[in-house]
Amino acid sequence: MASSFIYNLFIFIYIYESKSLSWIPFKIGQPKKQIVSKTVERDFEREYDKLQKLEDQTKKLHKDMKKSTEADLAMSKAAVKISADLLSNPLCEQDQAFLDSMTALDTAMRRMDSFNQEKVNQIQKTVIDPLKKYSGVFPSLNMAVKRREQALQDYKRLQSKAEKYEEKEKTGPVMVKLHQAREELRPVREDFEAKNKQLLDEMPKFYYSRIDYFQPSFEALIRAQVVYFTEMYNIFSELTDQIDQAGLTDEQRERETEAKLSELRALSIVADD
Amino acid sequence: MTYEELENKTRRLKSLFFLLFSTEEAAAKERAAQRQMLAIEELVHSERNYLRLLRLSSGTIRNNLQKLQPPPADLDSVFLDIEDVIDVSSRLLGLLDQKLVQPGDPRFLETLCESFLGLSSDIEAAYKEYLANYNQVTVVENSYKQKEALWNDVVRVIKTSAPEVNATSLSFFLVMPVQRIARYPLLLQTIQKHTEKTHPAYALLERTAHTSIALNYRINEYKRFREVADKYKKTETLTIKDKIYRLNTHSIAKKTARFGQHIRHETGMAPKLVDEEFDALEGFFYVLEHGILELLENVETYLYHLQGFLSCRTEEFDLDMDGEKAPICYKEITTALRQWILPTFEKRMRTLIRKPLGALRDLLVGPRNLIRKRLDKLLDYELIEAKSNLSYEEQDVANTYRTMNTLLLNELPQFTGVALQMIWSVLGTFSCLHRDLAADMEQLFQSFAQQLPHSSMERGAFREWAESAVLEGARRLETLCRSVEHTLNGPVVQPLSPSSRRRLKQLTDKHGSGKIYQVVGSVVGSRDLDLNLARGELVAIISEADTRGDKRRWLVDAGGPRGYAPSSKLIRYHQPTEDPPPSPQLTLPDGVTETRRHSYTPESQPMTVMSQPCFQVLAAYDFTATGNHEVSVRAGEPVRVLEPRDKRGNPEWSLVEARGGARGYVPSNYLAIAPRPPHH
Repeated sequence: MASSFIYNLFIFIYIYESKSLSWIPFKIGQPKKQIVSKTVERDFEREYDKLQKLEDQTKKLHKDMKKSTEADLAMSKAAVKISADLLSNPLCEQDQAFLDSMTALDTAMRRMDSFNQEKVNQIQKTVIDPLKKYSGVFPSLNMAVKRREQALQDYKRLQSKAEKYEEKEKTGPVMVKLHQAREELRPVREDFEAKNKQLLDEMPKFYYSRIDYFQPSFEALIRAQVVYFTEMYNIFSELTDQIDQAGLTDEQRERETEAKLSELRALSIVADD
Repeated sequence: MTYEELENKTRRLKSLFFLLFSTEEAAAKERAAQRQMLAIEELVHSERNYLRLLRLSSGTIRNNLQKLQPPPADLDSVFLDIEDVIDVSSRLLGLLDQKLVQPGDPRFLETLCESFLGLSSDIEAAYKEYLANYNQVTVVENSYKQKEALWNDVVRVIKTSAPEVNATSLSFFLVMPVQRIARYPLLLQTIQKHTEKTHPAYALLERTAHTSIALNYRINEYKRFREVADKYKKTETLTIKDKIYRLNTHSIAKKTARFGQHIRHETGMAPKLVDEEFDALEGFFYVLEHGILELLENVETYLYHLQGFLSCRTEEFDLDMDGEKAPICYKEITTALRQWILPTFEKRMRTLIRKPLGALRDLLVGPRNLIRKRLDKLLDYELIEAKSNLSYEEQDVANTYRTMNTLLLNELPQFTGVALQMIWSVLGTFSCLHRDLAADMEQLFQSFAQQLPHSSMERGAFREWAESAVLEGARRLETLCRSVEHTLNGPVVQPLSPSSRRRLKQLTDKHGSGKIYQVVGSVVGSRDLDLNLARGELVAIISEADTRGDKRRWLVDAGGPRGYAPSSKLIRYHQPTEDPPPSPQLTLPDGVTETRRHSYTPESQPMTVMSQPCFQVLAAYDFTATGNHEVSVRAGEPVRVLEPRDKRGNPEWSLVEARGGARGYVPSNYLAIAPRPPHH
């Protein structure tokens, strides 16, 4: 914001006071004739701004999605470890009912983990990879904008040079130099205009293309979660019916736990002397 | 310029300065205010539409359904709780309308928040009942779907009662409260996003947003509470879990005691064998201890990763697609998941699982220490037990050992029994928490089912569609990328520096202009014989492959040094179409030849133009006259030089006669000498 303000300020000073404030040193290398109109420059900046914001968001979303799926996988593996470690503990062998239920829990956890892996794979393919590919376009685009900027600077420099000769007295050598300058200027101007037009055409198109590009990703992301949670519901309602005491509210659970802990604390062997 | 004039100019500049600065700031503020207003209007407008559709369903549609012959069963139960929701929504809108403030007014936000907060307990009460009973709605609708004729009638009634809405089921309308209550947090947070912290109503807005989340928490909790209560009323058959709950401390104690007894009977009472009973109990205790510690550690790891998952805020990066259906749905789903559904799950995990396990672990310390002490005492005891006459201290030691031993033998089985029961109920709770999490998500998804395209596709078909769509997108992206690189990263069109011009001539002379390439980006050589090249440098291609046939490495001449460069960094160099005009000097008979850069004359000998009939003078470049002493000539046009200098004797201008007899001055170095064509 500061840079565009300063840019505007220069233009203003220029146009408004160009003849009389010739002592202002900013004038060096700046052509008198307005090369790029303010509206065009503003449009360009606005479009490029949108793309830069998009680049930033794409990168952040990519990073966050990766982090989120990693945490997701780790959580699922931790859940499997809970049941696996218990199952391998000799505690289970005490009672057949224990063993059966422990096995049921372990099976449920493993199944959930495999569904989770499937979900993550889907997300990787339809969301994370496309995000990365999309980010990959921005370096070229940024480079193209830089090249246009360079071309603009060259253009301005040569334009200013030509103007310098235009103002001088029309002698032979001056005319020659003027012609030279104009000839030098022409390809550079054409190059800039081509780059400028191309970018002004392409930038909005690219920005708009994100909608069609990411639509399937968002849908796939939602769908993957729907499938996963549907499976989770099926697996765990069956398991809960098998191993959980029915009809307990959270408060009741807490009270039962507290009762058991009190029973333990009442034992003499527990009291720390 | 006087001092006064300078002052005036500076003053004008200053005012321009402030005008500019405030305009920029003001513009940004204006945009933010605009977005905030849109977000506020979205909330109000969507609420009105929502209320309208609810009224439509509970009024027109319901009445028309009742007129069916026979009327559908349980119709009243379906519409039981909707009235309260309609009531609270119309009261909310009523409060807004009453205040006669417009959305554009800054006080509107204040009114909105106050109204919402004021009604929040009523909102909770209405939606709580609605969501707790919503399953019933689904059950009844499914029963209608079973009877084809009835269902067709129902759909027909819906379509005719609400033709402008694209609804094909009752649940289309009846799921709306489920959606709406979950949407308030997002709507309010969006307004908050576009509101300055300095806005007078900001604190109030923040509180309202938090309240909307808390509402969802409590409504969900209530729903779960009701589910459990309802389930409890059903009769249970004896299942595994009940067998476990019948397994209590006594049975474990009996099992281990029995084992000990068996041993004693077999062999008589020997101290070593009594220890076997103890050893069994001790072994069991250590196994239990290990299990509890491991379980606690695993649960903590699980919670750690859950927190990691919660810290990701993927719903915040919507890529500015907040007008599109799929991203909005994703945002809403993820907001709900991250802001109250998963946090509820986490809280319950901590309260019902982590905390009890931690408390249990703490209780392990006592028995463990006592077991160790007993061992110490045992060693002492074994030393003295053989004696027949024990001193008082020795008797003391013996008694202490026997007491400890008995205590442990009695109480350890109890301990392990209760501990096992606790572990077991924790695991049951773990399963139940997962089921509740999945149930919450399922209910959330229900409200989006109709909004997404492709949601009716089968799993496999959807996956195929998604994957192919993604591939298609990647392909289009690649094309775009290539075209950007191709057109915009073209050759650097710059006037050449003198050294570049020399290099160009040198290479062109040696290799021909078709072999000239330009370096697109700086190259740093990595292998033997690789060159370092700067961007913009001109080189000539010697070979388009290296000695091993690798076509990505080209052998180039960089105006002296030769070596390899990557072909991806080289681009054909097309000489700019117009060089600056050369300066072949027309020389006077006694003139001096100057060094020529690009000479158009085949020889460099001085010649006098006028007296050589085999040569003619042409204009080499277009020249446009800028004064009435000059004459315009076209490139290639033959001219007759009248005077090789101007009136002041300056040889840089020549007086010529052009086609058509026009006479005037042209720059001397615009003229060239060429052999006269034979037929001339």
